[in-house]
Order: sequence, then C-alpha cells, then structure tokens
Amino acid sequence: MQYELKTQVIEPQRHTFTHVAKRFGDKPASRYLEGSIDVQPTEHFHYRPTWDPTKEIYDESFSVFRLADPYSYLDPRQYYYAPYVTARSGHHDAFGTSLEYIENRGLLGRLPDGWSAVLGELVVPLRHLESAGQLILCGMARFGYGATITQAAAYSAFDRVGNAQMISRVGIALGGGTTETLTAAKDHWMGDESLQGLRRLAEETIVEADWGVALIQLDALDQLVYDLLWSHLDDAAVTGGAPAYSLIAQHMTNWYTDNRTWIDALYAAWRADPELGAHNADLLAEHGRNAVDTALAALTPFAQRLDARLDAGALERVAATAAASLATFAADQA
Amino acid sequence: MTLAPEKKTKKPRKLSMKARYEALTRGLDWEPSYVTKEEMFPHLEYEGIKIHDWAAWEDPFRLTIDAYTKYQAEKDRRLYAVLDGFAQGQGHLNLTDAGYLNAMKLFLQGVTPLEYAAHRNFAYLARHFAGPGPRFAALCQSIDEIRHMQTEVHTLSNYNKYYSGLHNWPENHDRMWYLSVPKSFFDDALSCGPFEFLIAIGFSFEYLLTNLLFVPFMSGASFNGDLPTMTFGFSAQSDESRHMTLGLEAIKFLLEQDEDNVPIVQAWLDKWFWRAYRVTALVSQMLDYMLPRKVMSWKESFELYFEEQMLKGLFEDLAFYGITPPRHVADAVQEKDVLSHQVYWILYQFSFAAGFTTTMPTPEHQQWLSQAYPDTFDTHFKPLWDKEARNIASGGRHFTRGLPQLCQVCQIPMAFTEPGDPTTLCQRESEFEGEIYHTCSNGCQWIFEREPEKYRQAWLPVHQIYQGNCGGPSVPEVLEWYHLQDGDAGEYLGSRDHTNWLTWQGEAAAETASHENKAGA
Repeated sequence: MQYELKTQVIEPQRHTFTHVAKRFGDKPASRYLEGSIDVQPTEHFHYRPTWDPTKEIYDESFSVFRLADPYSYLDPRQYYYAPYVTARSGHHDAFGTSLEYIENRGLLGRLPDGWSAVLGELVVPLRHLESAGQLILCGMARFGYGATITQAAAYSAFDRVGNAQMISRVGIALGGGTTETLTAAKDHWMGDESLQGLRRLAEETIVEADWGVALIQLDALDQLVYDLLWSHLDDAAVTGGAPAYSLIAQHMTNWYTDNRTWIDALYAAWRADPELGAHNADLLAEHGRNAVDTALAALTPFAQRLDARLDAGALERVAATAAASLATFAADQA
Repeated sequence: MTLAPEKKTKKPRKLSMKARYEALTRGLDWEPSYVTKEEMFPHLEYEGIKIHDWAAWEDPFRLTIDAYTKYQAEKDRRLYAVLDGFAQGQGHLNLTDAGYLNAMKLFLQGVTPLEYAAHRNFAYLARHFAGPGPRFAALCQSIDEIRHMQTEVHTLSNYNKYYSGLHNWPENHDRMWYLSVPKSFFDDALSCGPFEFLIAIGFSFEYLLTNLLFVPFMSGASFNGDLPTMTFGFSAQSDESRHMTLGLEAIKFLLEQDEDNVPIVQAWLDKWFWRAYRVTALVSQMLDYMLPRKVMSWKESFELYFEEQMLKGLFEDLAFYGITPPRHVADAVQEKDVLSHQVYWILYQFSFAAGFTTTMPTPEHQQWLSQAYPDTFDTHFKPLWDKEARNIASGGRHFTRGLPQLCQVCQIPMAFTEPGDPTTLCQRESEFEGEIYHTCSNGCQWIFEREPEKYRQAWLPVHQIYQGNCGGPSVPEVLEWYHLQDGDAGEYLGSRDHTNWLTWQGEAAAETASHENKAGA
C-alpha cells in the first residue's frame, strides 16, 4: 500500500543547459556534467597575459598534448566539488582512526629497527615530494585546457597537500609528538645521497612548463614510488613484524588507486582522440619512456638504501615496475 | 603467553596547535639547488613587488586538510538537501514573481563565470608564490571557488528547467555585449602577474567590494522566495569570510614587506577599486529595478557597505601604512544617486539583445524609487518613464535599434553623466599611437592612460559587431549568433516566463479553490 502525495505537475521547458544538451541530448544531466562541461571560456579574451603575451588567457598550446574536443575527457569518478570533499573527508577520517590506533598501541615505538629507519630516513622525507606534486598539479590546474581536465588536476593538487600532511603526522608520531623526525627528514631530503635523485627530479619537474609533460613525469615517478613503498613494502611489513607500516600503507594505496583513475582516463582520451590520437600516442610513448627512465634512475639510490636497511628486494621490484610502466606508455596501448 | 614489552619511548611533548599546524604546512618548503629559485618561481620579479620574508605570512585559519574536507562536506550535504527538496516540491512557484529571476539570469551569466575564473587563477597563485603559507591559502581558495561556481550552477539548474535565459550561460558570457563588462574586468586580472591579481581579486574584489557585489544578490533571493539561492549564499558565507580575511592579510603582507611596495599597491588599489566599482553598476540596477520585492536601494547599499564599512572602517586602518582611499572614490560617491537609473535605462532599451527581460517600473515601484532617490528620480528619471508610458499606451514599447558606443575600459555604453551634473553626458578621449580611445569617466580614462597598450586590446562587442565578427553586421544575425531562444530576451510582460507564470499560478489557485469547494461541500 502506498499513499499518494498530490503535487502540481509542470512540464519542464528543457531538461538541462543548452551546452550540456548539445553533447548528451536534452535529458536530465548529472551534477558533474552541469558543473563541468564547457565552463571554461574559449573565445574573445580581452587581453594577453603580461607574463607571456604570446599566449591567450586559456590556451591549448601550454602543452603538446591536445584534444580536438577537450570535453571528450571526463573524470570517471565524476568528481565535482561536493563528492570530492565528501570522499576525502572519509579518507582522512579513516587515516586518523588508524593513526590513533597506532599511537594508542605504541606501534611505531615497537617497529623493528630497520623499519623505523626506513620510515624516518626514506618515507617521511617524501612529504617534500608530495609538496612538489602540489606545485606541479597547481600549474596544470591553471594552464591545462578544458574544465574537466583542470578540475581533476586541482583536486589532485589538493590531495597532495593531504598526503604530505598524512606523512607529516606519521613523522610527528614517530618523533614522539615532536618535530624532531620532520626536521631530520628535511635534512635528509636536502643532503642525503639516497634522496638527491628524487629531489633533483622534483625540482626539474616543477619547472617543466608543459603541464602534460610534467604530469607524465610526476606520474611515472608515482608509479614506481607508490608501488614500492605502499604495495611491495606493505607485504614485507605484514610478514616482517611492522603492522604500523601496513596500517599506514593501506590509506596511501587507496589514494593512489583513486588517483590513477583520472590519469589513466586522460591518457586513454589522448589516445582515443579522433584527430590527434595517433600523434598523442606517439607523444605519450616518447615522454613516457623518458619519464620512466628518469624516474628509475632517480629512484635507484633510494631503493639501494632501502635494501641496505631491510633487504626487501626493492631494487629488483623498482626495475620490474619500470618495465611494466614503460609498456603502458608505449604507443600500442590503444 | 606474555606480551612483548613496549620499547621505551620518550614521553611525548605535545606540540602546540600553532606549532603542529606549522609543522604540517610550513616545513614542506625547501630551497631548490638543482634549479634556481628564479626558474622555479619566474613571475615574482616583474611587477616590482619586493618580498623579503615569505614566512611572515600569517595563516589566519590554520586549516588542515582533514578539517577542511570534513567541514566542507557537511556544508554541501546540507545545501544539496535543500536543493533536492526545493526541486521536488516545485518550490519555484513560491517566488514573488517570475520577473525576479532576471536577477538570477544576470548572476549566472555574469558572476558565476567569475567564480570559475577565480578558481583557475588562484591555482596560478598556488603555483607561483614562493611561500608555502600563501600558496596553500590560494589553493584552498581555488577549490572553494570551483565550489561556488558549481553550487551556483546546481542551485539555478532547477530554474533553468522551467524558465528562460539561464540555459546558455557560458557562451553568453563569452559573447554578449553587457557581459563583456564583467568578463573584461576579470580578464584584466587574469592577465596580471600574481601580486596584482592578489590585490585585484583577493583584496579589491573579495574584500573591498564583496558586500556590494555578492550580498545584494543573496539578499534579493531571501526577500523574493528564492530559498535555494539564499541557502547557497549562507553556505558560501564561511568560505567568503575566509577569502576576505585572506585579502586583508594579503594587502598587509605586501605593505609590510617593503616600503617600495606601498606606491605600487596604492596604484593597484586606485585601478581595481574603479574597475570593480564599474562592474557593480550592473548590480545597482538589479537592486533598484529587477527585484519585485526590494531589499534596499543601491544608494543605501553603497552608503552602508562602502562608505561606512570601507571608507570609514578599512581605510582608516590602512592609513597606518600610508595608503589613502582610492583615487576617483569621490566620483563614485557622487554617482550613487544616478547610477542604477542610468544603467537600467540602457538595459531597458537594449534587452531585445540580452539574456534577460526588462519592463517599465510600475507606479508603485516608481513611488519607491522616488522615495529612495528624492534628489534625482522625480527630476531626471521619472520624465523618461512618463514618456515611455505614453509610448506603450500608443503601442510602441521603446527599443533602441542602433548600437551604443562603449567605454574602452569598463565596456559599459557611454551613458554616464558628469560627476555632480546629471544633465551632461560624460565623455573622455585619449590618444594613443595616433588613435582616439573613448572612456566613460575620469576613473576609466585614468586606467586607460596608465596602460594604453593593454586596454587597446579590448574585445569591444560593438566594434566586433560592426566588423562582422559576431555572426554578421546586422542585429538579427547577431541575435542568432548569441543563440537566444524564444523568451530569453525583450519585454517581460507577455514574455514566455510571464505567461507561464500566470498559467501556473492560475492552476495552483484553481487547485486550491477546488479543494476548498470540496472541503466546504
């Protein structure tokens, strides 16, 4: 049995905005589409940027990667602001719960020495790498072309601040509630030989003016770093008596899996472009190869140090992941 | 079985809230050595601003990511619940009148795109500032601004299903003549370096004039039964107060870093006050003419939000740094009695080519105007409407078919009068490299002459139409290029929205009557 609410029935004049209807037909559209499609201005810019008068305010030529229709790219997560912050609110809540458990049980203090060293000397310094990711993705959020692309980049930039804060909170906990570990980690980041390849790559990627190329460089490095630290080492932690590490790793992996979604979809859109697809695929292969090679070289001393501390097969793993990563960037991945 | 003894750990010395926040946010920065600092932050020198200590930036909020996302997610959950309920219950029928939505059409076409532009360019600041404090503040504002763009679109999405003029806002913003006023304003800021943008938008727009620009729309919504927009306005309030605080922190930071910054910042304030003030011209007519139920007059709004709060409050504080009230502020004060009337008279005559409708103020409305503007309305503007009443009586509602001359800087048609003299048109001319450029006011002329090489680039809609770049040189061709649909433009009375409104209200009344009859039977 149902009860019947009487409401005035009014026929709508249209079901969505004209620009959304043009692509998807005049039917009710999602909030993601209504809040993203065609919202970036495309014509009649009044003035040239004073910092680069050869460009328009929004200009496709800020990258060699282009789409004939920028809105052929959609974020598969359909993140507009509300679902984005809702998802991240849950994510940080879950991390906070894990960290609280780790601290209440004194799990960081009970880490075997090798694990403790890896966390303090190699993992905590990577909060600076996250900070570099923030800058790189902010550049993409400004200079990218098309609101669906730049929106995903902006959220990812914000995520990097969150990642850095998660790692920093681990560092503070590891330092017994002080900033000692963070300070030591920064010294490592600045001077320790095992981290200089990463720092050099971070700085060089920040100054890369082409946002598409910069994204690939950042992504190639992420593919190696996140797999090594949060997937490969997670397994080692489970068997190696380091539950604290594993409890942290799950959250980093969850984020990485989510973040992959929008980047993989962008690569797919570049390759699938009806006009520029073949050209984009060649560019992806070329820049992807360079990026993976550079990332592997940068990460090698890091992996060697890791092996010296834990004997976890890090170097081997990084090489294997790099080979797999090269294959995904290669041109035949249509 | 025994538990392994815990390793001896140091007694945690808890960080203070401030120290913890700094550890989480500030310590992340480092001095690059594989590239130079100039390569990493290449846009920081050319505007002449000197920053000696980026760490002197005070973070007013100390928001961490977990706190930010939690708070914002909760706000959005509540806002979208209101939007869903409103849509389900046909809440739009409770507006004061369908004509109210003209204000929202102007808002969606003219203001929402600015939120989007702010989103993109705060990301630019978040990339190009050399200090982590202002960078993070800018990144927060960047994603706040995409929130505002999207929540505005989602708020008005339901009205778009039933009413005209809202359906094509991004293209309208890029193409339509009156929207080049807000668009050129923001393009001006987008084409600046990071520090000028911070003063232009972070301070002048978000702090100095936000109560004149943004609040009238939200108050208009609450007075006219627009529950979703009002809820959006409340929901954006805490973001806006963060942005206002950022804007104030920004100007103090620049002024405190080096004395040489003071004259640069002063010139930017002079420029951006007038630029933003000219955009509020569109708001002034909205307040006085578009709202069926009035909130306050433009004049009252200007006196309260600008003269009281800014000139008396803010600029007294800034005097400490050697900052004086913006140049040309006296002209703006003198204009408060005439601005809205002059702007609405333009829009009234040209609304056949707009994304909203206009109508002649009713006798009651004119009485309100006359009370709100005792010194000017009856003398200077009522005669225009009396004449228009005679036109309408003889079947000839007035539309101007010619195209107006636009100000080279603010791009409003040149219909303003001399300061203090509502009977003489104000026209200024400047010469640059052998060409003559026209401006509408002392303020716009000053801005032009400071950067003529910039303002001569302006994409002036009327010039573009005459050059055939807008679908063709004739009015029908231009209207087609605007992709206007039946009901978007023209006179409100008898328009599609008006006709539908009467029908829907009639149906609702008939429904109520039939229920009452049944109940009475």
